[in-house]
Amino acid sequence: MIKNTHFLVISFALCGLALLTCTVERQPCLTPTIASLNIECMHLPTDTATIFIDTALPSAVFTALTPTRSDSTIYPQQSLFTLSLSPDTTYCQWQFITDTALSKYAKYDVITFRYQRDLQFLSNSCGYAYFYTLDTVYSTHNIIDSLHLINTSVTNDVNTTHVQIFIHPDY
Amino acid sequence: MTSTQRMCRYLYILIISGLTLYSSPVYAQADTTATDTTGTTKVKKKDLAGHQLCLGIDIARPVINAFVSNRYGYELESDYYLHNEFYGVLEGGWGGSNVDYTNLAYTTRNNFIRLGFNKTILPRERPTDWDMMLMGLRIGMADVNRSNATYTVIDSVWGNTSGSTKGTSFAAIWVELTGGMRVELLNNLFAGWNIRGKFMMNGKSFNALSPLYIAGYGEGDKNSAFDFNVYVSYGIRWKRKGVADTVKVGK
Repeated sequence: MIKNTHFLVISFALCGLALLTCTVERQPCLTPTIASLNIECMHLPTDTATIFIDTALPSAVFTALTPTRSDSTIYPQQSLFTLSLSPDTTYCQWQFITDTALSKYAKYDVITFRYQRDLQFLSNSCGYAYFYTLDTVYSTHNIIDSLHLINTSVTNDVNTTHVQIFIHPDY
Repeated sequence: MTSTQRMCRYLYILIISGLTLYSSPVYAQADTTATDTTGTTKVKKKDLAGHQLCLGIDIARPVINAFVSNRYGYELESDYYLHNEFYGVLEGGWGGSNVDYTNLAYTTRNNFIRLGFNKTILPRERPTDWDMMLMGLRIGMADVNRSNATYTVIDSVWGNTSGSTKGTSFAAIWVELTGGMRVELLNNLFAGWNIRGKFMMNGKSFNALSPLYIAGYGEGDKNSAFDFNVYVSYGIRWKRKGVADTVKVGK
């Protein structure tokens, strides 16, 4: 019914193809393994009641207040920032200033996040990651006027805004 | 698409495929029915193909095992010629994996079994012709044992966090669509290959830590898998007992 030579040719081709595909032992991890806490900065202007999103904060600085006080600083170039939460504890703090030049006149604000942790298996390529559910967010009020918690679920989705920071009109 | 919808879709494919195979015309000698010119007598031909039990081993697995260090698997197969170019199939095997990454480490072991049937899709040239192009369906089951898993969440800002999760045992169930060919290279000695599309039915039940590899299925953290086998098998044959070849109808 079937030509043996056809069978052999197809079999060898199939084996060769399979061996090529099977030699990749670990697939690359293509998803973020750190949960992204996405923050949007809003400005409260003095002259009008209009609130607008800052399109650029070229000199803003976020610094993680880690237990070892080792500086982990983010220098964002726009008004949308991505921070991370500490997987070791149920709260963490970041200090923030809109412009490093303001540090002579205004103190840094400290933002405190309190949350619950949830260990999530992503894949064998990526391993585990911590996702979080935010309970409360509060801050000092040197530069920050107020905070608005929009979404409490912090995952590796980079497109969800979790917290809005309303910056004081004077800054 | 939800898991229920996905499961319904797979079941639908399974049922439709089975019905299609069952209703397809049979060109082989087996059980063909003819009506004589008078329309009074139907002659039911004997299935002259006889009985055949084939026992085989997948020779591709040891080769793949030699190339891939973190997983292994072995597969055996058997099929028995039932009737009407249908073969009942029983396959089984064992295997495991050893995950030893910087951020994840555990081992798994599993045995598996697959039950189903093959149907030849080309006509038999003569009763002793056992070469075949085949299509088939399977349902596969595996019992998977996973060791304790240690993990590290790597975080450059807050520092790395390590921990472990307890080992567990669970069952994996999947369905397969398969196609391939088999030829008799020497007397009673066959070689053949299959390609398989596999669809996990209960992946959500163990997605807290899906195993890297389930022998018989493939990558445990995927809902569908593609696989192949290269079998060498030996056919044991014996004659079919006589069956009444003429059935009187009417009168």
